[in-house]
Amino acid sequence: MTRVSDEQTGLVLKDVYRVFPGDVTAVSDVNLHVQNGEYIVFLGPSGCGKTTTLRLIGGHDDPSSGTITIDGEMMNGVSPAERPITTVFQHYALFPHKSVLQNVAFGLKMQGVDKAEREAQAKAAIDLVGLTKMMDRKPRELSGGQQQRVALARVLVTRPKAILLDEPLGDLDRLLQMKMRVELRALQRELGITFIHVTHNQEEALSMADRIVVMGDAVIQQVGTPEELARHPRNEFVAKFMGDNNVFHGTISGTNGGNVVIDTPHGTVEVPGTGTAGQPGSMAIRASAVKVSTDATPAVNGVTVRLDFAEYLGDSVKLHLDLDGQPFMAKVHEERYTEIRAFEGRDVTASWAAEDGHLLEQ
Amino acid sequence: MSNEDAKHTALEEAKRAVEEAEALTGGSAVAVHATTGPRRSPLVTLAWVAPGTIWLLLFLIAPLVMIVLVSLWQKTPVGFDPFVFTTEGYTKLFQTPVYLDTLKDTIIRALLVTALCILIGYPIAYFLARGVSSIRYQIALFVFVLAPFWVAYVVRIVAWLPVLGRQGVINYFLVEVIGVRAEPIDALLYSNFAIILALVQLYVLFMVTPIFFQLATLDNAAIEAARDLGATPAKVFREVVLPLSLPGVLIGCIFVFVLVMGEFATVRLIGGGTIQSVGTLVYDYYKLPDLPTAAAGATILVAVMTIGVAVLLRFSKIREVV
Repeated sequence: MTRVSDEQTGLVLKDVYRVFPGDVTAVSDVNLHVQNGEYIVFLGPSGCGKTTTLRLIGGHDDPSSGTITIDGEMMNGVSPAERPITTVFQHYALFPHKSVLQNVAFGLKMQGVDKAEREAQAKAAIDLVGLTKMMDRKPRELSGGQQQRVALARVLVTRPKAILLDEPLGDLDRLLQMKMRVELRALQRELGITFIHVTHNQEEALSMADRIVVMGDAVIQQVGTPEELARHPRNEFVAKFMGDNNVFHGTISGTNGGNVVIDTPHGTVEVPGTGTAGQPGSMAIRASAVKVSTDATPAVNGVTVRLDFAEYLGDSVKLHLDLDGQPFMAKVHEERYTEIRAFEGRDVTASWAAEDGHLLEQ
Repeated sequence: MSNEDAKHTALEEAKRAVEEAEALTGGSAVAVHATTGPRRSPLVTLAWVAPGTIWLLLFLIAPLVMIVLVSLWQKTPVGFDPFVFTTEGYTKLFQTPVYLDTLKDTIIRALLVTALCILIGYPIAYFLARGVSSIRYQIALFVFVLAPFWVAYVVRIVAWLPVLGRQGVINYFLVEVIGVRAEPIDALLYSNFAIILALVQLYVLFMVTPIFFQLATLDNAAIEAARDLGATPAKVFREVVLPLSLPGVLIGCIFVFVLVMGEFATVRLIGGGTIQSVGTLVYDYYKLPDLPTAAAGATILVAVMTIGVAVLLRFSKIREVV
């Protein structure tokens, strides 16, 4: 492996493209620096390029251009086996004819570690994921959650610098998913290894990641902490994909203090930022920042909406509102459920503070 | 988390469901459980099962029973007497060294042909399933491999005569073209070598087909995972591909072994009457006519094949691999 840089530790993707035959661009202009020990989640709808990016990192596919380095070592052209990274495949890809112990010991066997040594290490990895009692079973004799732990143990035993997980929770039922989120995260903290996790589930990404990489249309739309993404989506794609955001489009009419004034078909909105009058402008407001009342509709940052349906979520109430025929979302505290429900089918006022909104990139 | 917990909860839930159902029906919940599937009249079920059952009874069970019965009847100059039971047919066979030797030869030949079919068939199936990336070419090549099946069985056998015969292609080449032999080799035809060659050609497809399908449906992710964990191509094959393709190999072995054990026409035509198989021997008794002895020979053959298949299944634990 060629040493290209002594400065950058961790995983670095630089100007990475992957174009499939027939000019299908799966991954475009990806630049990303993952620190060692980070928990990174690639999030995006299916077909957004997240799995292709993971395959490029894992060495199961080659970039059309651009470079991938790990701790300064060039990875382009290096086989998956020789990379200090291993993949936990979607649906786990366990060896059905091998026992749990043989599955876990496989990587060490391939490295030529002698039998006693590799079994000892495999047993330690199996112990780490809590499957010591199941060691002699075949994968098909295990539940989905247990198979997943075997898949994890199988990659952990080779002591990789990073682990790639392709939709690791996709095959599990919801309750088990919740449990495995916590377990995976705890395991990653304990081991201090970089985890790169691919999912299309926003909630999963928000609950697990140190940083989330939102991908859409083959490019990185935004990289940020869960909080940054939830509070400050950069563009409309991220705002919509992260859910619970209301987006307004319009034309910038001027500025007012530190705010941009945007004229939209639904009224005038003000949002922190700068802009040039006459240019198109878009802003997003989170559902939970929207106040719902029966007060008079304010002239700015307020709309009259019809309450179609109040959805009780336990800790909050999600309000499905109708804004001139378009869906609009608000979230209020669950204590207000009875009060709000009485307004179903009637007009209410939705308003928000200017500083809670944010200007989206065009 | 522990799976036991999950199981425990599931069990409790099931118990609770049963209790609730009992409360609702005011009685046994077992009846409720028994009717969870679609309701179907027993007559309808019978109608579904009948064709297959009748087919099996008529064409498999009935002939087998008949053969066993005939083998136990008394031979008469023109046929058999169904009112006198005797084991004469079996005694005759076991006292004739030719029959036992032929049985031994037939088993050895069947094993040898099966082994050769694996050696030749596996690489073909492997190439078709894993070496050809386009599904269209894969299917086209597979149909091409099946081409010999388009030709009648006897034609495929007879086609060997002008190749292996005294004045056949090979002898002509050896004697006339390169002149390494002064006289043609007779052993090319009417020999065990020729029979085995023809049998392998006839039956190798029964080996290729199941292996091909097994390999074609192999989980690519398992192979990718093996590579990811550092397996070289040779190790991927030995550790993952080969073990996962064994069920296909086993099914191929059963096909080829059973078919070659019962072989008759190939041995007669290519063996030229000098080489016997249990099949040709049974035919000879049948022509005498000595039907009870012929039936006894066939019964023993069926028994040996059944044992062979049972041994194959027993040692391979076919269901455990997939």
